[in-house]
Order: sequence, then C-alpha cells, then structure tokens
Amino acid sequence: MTRENLQKAFLTLVLIIVFGLPLILRSPTYLHILVLLYLYAYLTTSWNLVGGFAGVLPLGHAAFFGIGAYTSTVLYVQYGVSPWFGMVLGGVLASITGVMIGLPTFKMRGAYFALATIAFGEGMRVMVENIDHLGPFNINGPRGLQIPPLNVGLANLMFTNKEPYYYIILVMLIAVLAVTYFISRSRLGYYLNAGGEEPEAAMSLGVNVARCKLIAMAMSSFLTALAGSFYAQFSLFIHPKSVISLDLSFEIAFIALIGGRGSIVGPVLGALLLRPVSDFSRIYFGATLPGLHLIIFGMVLILVMIYLPRGLQQPLTKAYNGLLNRLDRRSR
Amino acid sequence: MVFILEDTINGILMGSIYGLTALGLTLIFGVLKVINFAHGSLLMVGMYVAYWAVTLSGAHPYLTLILVIPVMYLFGYYLQDIVIKPIFKAESEVREPITVIIVTTGVWYVLDNLTLLIFGPHYRTIQENPLRGKMLELGGMLISVPKLWGFSAAVLTAAAVYLFLQKTSMGRAIRATSLDREAASLMGIKQFKIYNIAFGIGTATAGIAAVTLVPFYNVFPTVGVLFDIKGFIIVVLGGLGSIGGAILGGMIIGVIESVGPQFMAATWAEGIVYGLFLLFLFVKPSGLFGVRYDW
Amino acid sequence: MAILELRNLIKAFGGLRAVDGLSLAIEEGQILGLIGPNGAGKSTAFNCIAGVYPPSSGEVYFCGEKTNNQKPWDLCRKGLARTFQIVKPFASKSLLYNVMVGSFSRTKKRSKAEEKALAVLKSLHLDVKKDMNSGNLTIADRKKLEIGRALATEPRLLLLDEVMAGLRPTEVDEMVAVIRNLRDSGITIFLIEHIMRAIMALSDRIVVIHYGKKICEGTPKEVADDERVIKAYLGEDYGVS
Ligand SMILES: Nc1ncnc2c1ncn2[C@@H]1O[C@H](COP(=O)(O)OP(=O)(O)OP(=O)(O)O)[C@@H](O)[C@H]1O
Ligand SMILES: [Mg+2]
Repeated sequence: MTRENLQKAFLTLVLIIVFGLPLILRSPTYLHILVLLYLYAYLTTSWNLVGGFAGVLPLGHAAFFGIGAYTSTVLYVQYGVSPWFGMVLGGVLASITGVMIGLPTFKMRGAYFALATIAFGEGMRVMVENIDHLGPFNINGPRGLQIPPLNVGLANLMFTNKEPYYYIILVMLIAVLAVTYFISRSRLGYYLNAGGEEPEAAMSLGVNVARCKLIAMAMSSFLTALAGSFYAQFSLFIHPKSVISLDLSFEIAFIALIGGRGSIVGPVLGALLLRPVSDFSRIYFGATLPGLHLIIFGMVLILVMIYLPRGLQQPLTKAYNGLLNRLDRRSR
Repeated sequence: MVFILEDTINGILMGSIYGLTALGLTLIFGVLKVINFAHGSLLMVGMYVAYWAVTLSGAHPYLTLILVIPVMYLFGYYLQDIVIKPIFKAESEVREPITVIIVTTGVWYVLDNLTLLIFGPHYRTIQENPLRGKMLELGGMLISVPKLWGFSAAVLTAAAVYLFLQKTSMGRAIRATSLDREAASLMGIKQFKIYNIAFGIGTATAGIAAVTLVPFYNVFPTVGVLFDIKGFIIVVLGGLGSIGGAILGGMIIGVIESVGPQFMAATWAEGIVYGLFLLFLFVKPSGLFGVRYDW
Repeated sequence: MAILELRNLIKAFGGLRAVDGLSLAIEEGQILGLIGPNGAGKSTAFNCIAGVYPPSSGEVYFCGEKTNNQKPWDLCRKGLARTFQIVKPFASKSLLYNVMVGSFSRTKKRSKAEEKALAVLKSLHLDVKKDMNSGNLTIADRKKLEIGRALATEPRLLLLDEVMAGLRPTEVDEMVAVIRNLRDSGITIFLIEHIMRAIMALSDRIVVIHYGKKICEGTPKEVADDERVIKAYLGEDYGVS
C-alpha cells in the first residue's frame, strides 16, 4: 500500500470505530462521557482557529458558548422556535460579538487581547446573573433556564436516549475538523499562521493581519456558539456559572495548548487525553483529593510548554509518520 | 451625603489595596512584557504565609512582614528562574512570548489547587486579631482601621518601588532592560538576572498586599482569582507598566465597588467595572498613564 | 517616469529626526544604493516607503501615486516588496510555506501559489531545501529566503535592507549575482548595504545619508571620491586640511 492509501485506511478505521461505538457501548453513562469528550474536542478545535492559527490567546470563549446556549434556549422555551434555528442565530450573534472584541485589541500586544477576552467573558457572566428580563426575553438571572423535555424529536434537537446526541456531536466534530483542514491549506490559513508568527513580515508580504484575525475570530466564535446550543439541548439546564464560566474558558484553552495549538489533530488529542483525566480524577478522587485534575493540568501544561512547545501532538505525529513510512517501505 | 463620602473614602482605601495587589503585575509586565497570570496566586500564597505566621506565633499581623517579604521575594525569584526562564530562552526570538503567559497560567492552577489539596477549601480568619472590626470615627463617618493601614502600605510601597527604579543603579538596570533588553544586555546587564529580580520584587509587593489583607479578609485557596481579575482590569485602566497608574486604577475600582451599591444592586457595580474596562480598551487602550506600544 | 520618488521626507521619533528632509528618485530598471553610517536613518526611510510608519511630513510617490498613508499589504499588492535587516522568517514553517505566503498575494489558488513558490525557490537554488524548517537555516540562506518571499509577490520595486550583512565573501559574490539577475529580469532595486565592494559593483547611482539628511548623490565613482562621504564615515574630526 502506498502512503496515501495507508492514511486513508487509517482514517476509515477510525471512522468505523467512532460510528460503531454506540452499537457496542450501550451504557448511557459511557455515552454521556463520550458526548462531552467530543464536545470538548469540538470546542478546542474551534478555539484553535484563533488561539492556534492566529497566534493570539483568547481566554473568554465560554462567553460565546453561553451566547449560543442562551439564544437557542430562550427562543425555544419562550417562543417555540426550533433550536436548530436558535443555534444558527446564536452563532451569528457570537460572531458579531467576537469581531467587536477583536477590533480594538488585535492591533495591540497579545496581552491586551487575552485580558480583554477574560474581562469580556466575566462581564458577560455578571450581566446574565443580574438580568432577569432582557427586553421581551426572560433569561432568569442566576437561576438559569430549564428546557422541558417535551416534544422530543430531531426537529427540536431533543431525544430520550443518548445515541442521537452522540451522532450529532460526532458529525459536528468531523465538520469542524474538515473546516480546519481546509482553512489550514487555504490562503487564509497561511496568512493566519504568518501573521501570528511574524506580523511585520506578513504585512510586508500582502497580509492584512488584523483582518485575517478578525475573520478567524468570527468563525471561531460562531462555531463555539453552535456547541453552546447543542449543550443546552443535551443537558436541558443551563445557568450562568455552568455555561459562561471562566473555568470553561481556561479549560478549552488548556486542552488545546497541551494537545498542540496550531495543528489540526492537537486539540482533539488534547481532549482525548485530558478529558478522561479530569473525569476519572473527579470520580475517584473528587472527595479525597479535590482539584487533583487541575494540578495535573497545570503541571502538564508547564512541562509541555517547556519541553514540547508544539504540544503532545508533536511526538505523536512523528511516531505516526514513522509508522506510516515503515509500513510503506515494507510493502514495496 | 455623609454615606456617600464615607463610602468614597472606604472605597479609596480598599481600592489602594487593590492597587497594591496589582503593583507587582504592572512591574513584571513593564520589565518582562508578560502578563503574570499567577499573580493572584502569589498573593494567595502570601496570605497563607501571613496567616500561618500569625496563627502559630501569635504575633501582630503586621509584624509578619519581616517574614513574608523575604519569603515572597525568594519565591518569585526562583519561580522565574526555574519555571519561566527556560521558556524565554527557548523563544528568545519571539517578540512577545505568549507561551510565557500560558506557563504562568499553569502556575496559577498548580498553586491554587495544591493549596486546596493541602489546606482544604475552608475560609480562614486569624483568631488573635487586634485589628478585627476596628473603626475610626471621623466626623460621623466610620473608617476601617486595617484598610487605612493598607492604604498607607500601598502608597509607601508604590513610592518605594518608584524611587528604587529611579534612584538606584539596580533600578536603572531594570529600567534599561525593560526599554530594550538587547541593548541592555550589550551594556553588560544580565537580562535573566534582572528578570529574576523584577519578578522577586513584584512577588514581594504581592506579599505586602497579602499582609495588609489578612486582618480583615478571608484566606482561602481561590482568593487570588478575585484579585487576579481585578488586577488585570486595574493595570489596563492605569496603563500597563505604570506604577502610579496601578494605584490610581485600583482606587477607581474601589470607589465604584463601594459607592455603586448605593445606587444599584451590588453585583451590577461589578458589571460596571467590566464595562469600564472594555470602554477603555476601545477608547484609550494605553490606559491613564500608559505609553502607546509600537504596534 | 520615476518608479519611486521621495520629496522632502521627514520621520521623527519624538525629538529625533531619523529621516530629515530626504528627496530622491529611482528610475525604472535601475539599482539605487543607499549608504550611510549606523543609525543614519536608512532602515527608517525604507519603513516609511513600505508603509510601516506614516511619514511625519513630506511625500512618497510610488508609480506616480502618493502613498504616504497606505498600508504595507496594500503597497505589496501594488508591486512593492521589501526584506528586513533583521530577518523575520516564519521560523516554525518550511521554506516552501514561507515563500507561498508571498505568492498567495497574487493568487487565491493553492496550486498556483505552490507552483510560483517552487519556481522562485529554484531560481535562488533553494529548491533542494524546500521542506526544511526555515528556523534551521544558515544566515546566508535566511537572507536568500527573505528575498525569495519578497520575489514571490511579483514586485516591480524591491527594497533590500542589508541582505549581505554577515555573509562570507563567496556568499557575497553569489548574492551580487542574484541581485544582478533580478535587475535583468526587470525589477527595480533599492538597496541598503554596508559592504562597499558589493554596493559599488551593483549600483547605478548611490545616495549617501547622514543623520537623516542626504549629503551626496552620484555614480559609485563620484560618491567614492566625495570628501563629505569620507567625513561622514570617519567622523567630523578627520580633517583633510
Ligand atoms: N521605532 C523607533 N523608535 C524610536 N527611534 C527609532 C525607531 N527606529 C529607529 N529609530 C532611531 O532612528 C535612527 C535611525 O535608525 P535606522 O534604523 O533607520 O538606522 P540605519 O541607518 O538603518 O542604521 P543601521 O546601519 O545600523 O541599520 C536611530 O537613531 C534609531 O535609534
Ligand atoms: Mg538599518
């Protein structure tokens, strides 16, 4: 087999496994964990469009997640609008917001952007916690919103068992990976990388760096908001501390950075490796050793930044390529 | 009317302590050009050191400065030397090492959660506290005594750091490095030694802030996060890298937080702080006293 | 018509006038050299031309159009390319990637950009290293890559800021040949250089600046014989009295 065929075979195998998994794994608990795992992989991949490719450090993505969650939920619960529509609308709103934050800050030192996104995320949470009614919409302040589990079905993005959620988030994850792949090979991807690494040089080569970053920000916040709507429909209960938390913003960034920002597989790998760590340490040590998984996250982050600045994907990609080469040569 | 004056004064006092917590942040940024996300955690460490010193020895809280300042200086010095320096070296060509920001975030997570693991989530207050609830009556207004001391500490520390940077040869070396690290190293200044020292001083000022907080503030593992976020806002308001700006920015926040609740729900006052921050970013990103950056 | 013209260009940083009333013009197809002692304001002049800084006063005309406040990326699309004195490769990326960033300025299509980039790399004899990480290159290759990236944007005017600094003599010779080839292919070149041998051999005309002011202009021979130039380089105290 040639290299390309090997790669295709590998990809097919992965797809067969992930699509077939629910047929074997019938436990709702495991499916629940997997849905969240894919959700994180999706979020980190969306984050990576700005945090990785554009070379800036957004630390307030939970705000976009929250915009998505609240938009679709309010529209659905109070006006009966299909969550699918709310999802798209939330994406658009998040996108506009993302551009508004990027506009003043992308021209400045990266630190400003990082700080602005944190303040924006926290400001958003405080706002939602304080507002019961936003015009005609009831967002219910700190108490959050519940989605009554009636009218189950695809049109309402609501199901009684976990499998449909599993497949929906899986398809969303594959789609966002595909988008990332195409962007990374397109002019925009080259421009984002160039502008992130050496802005002055990029500008001299015809790159409007700030505009490219804005485009990336618009896409990233749009995609993040879609996940927010999905999460709301999946958990049927949202409140400001769960969907607009600083912890969520940082966790997304951490996972992507440890996995390897700027690469396509990095963020997914990060979620794959780190989500189980936090799930299991919460389950087994949550009572005795609280915060253990965060210590592990922090330590791993420091070590990875010092020894593998391009993340865990660096050695793994190398190993994978080595394996492909070996198989390739053997088959000749 | 008296209420508002009283709130304003208490706001200024508390705000100056916020400013003191942010002082190290702005100093470290000025020299290393890096936002130290672990700064709040360093403050938290300082608070635990002070707390245990008072609890174990029964000494007056302010006496613990003798211990806290050197301990925190060394902590900051070696934190920079061991954890942060390697990344600077690896990315010496990068103009703004984002990776360093990320590592300080890792430090934040480790410190906060390690503290949680060791000391548990409890809120702690010092028992033998001569300053508890002490008030000064001034023309019908009640002014908190420990906050008054905190205010004095903030102003003195800021003045001391400022004079140190302006008048001593070490201070001048630090400023030279902050302006142009390559030129400074050509002049024989050891860049990383300066970074260590600046980090040490910044951490020590967080220690001073911690000591002034301990008599009237709860000590718990995530206490730093509150001050962290405030600190970020303060340094942007005041101008990243400006020492006077940090104190003034802190006072602005303090006044909003204490006077605001007269007119609205207390949580809204918090919202106003974020709003003000974003407004500054749009209108005057260099802050009150900051310089505009080159790009 | 002159492809580039500066009229009384001034760029001040605070109180310091890094460029102070500079006027000059380059005819299409020429090589113009710009020399002067360290800190004379050469790179600053380039930055004003390339849109990095807006001039404090005076005018920049590129292809007959006043371009004072235009942005670097717009100027690039209009046919102005430049290299940096301190090279700025996209260090985590391959040479091909680096050059493709340049060639994308003329096409959106990846295949076309790649084709163009490969051609440029080949013309600079860098094609064998195309997949290497640009962070691992030698100084000479980094400088060549810097030129390659600029060339990929298909410039009419190329600003070269000390592309020979730090090169060994044989490498300088090679670079001189490269620049000649560029001129022969129709690109106008504006060149800052400290290596006199190279700039004398290449330039049609040379402008000398000192403290931001033009002190002399002429053919290499005229400039080399000019007393003011010698003084500028050796210091005012060096009298030929
Ligand atoms: N961004 C800036 N801010 C302030 N001063 C600057 C800036 N850029 C350059 N200068 C100053 O302007 C003067 C001219 O600098 P410039 O880099 O243009 O000199 P140069 O002729 O290119 O020197 P060299 O031969 O060393 O490259 C110098 O005194 C320099 O310190
Ligand atoms: Mg120069």
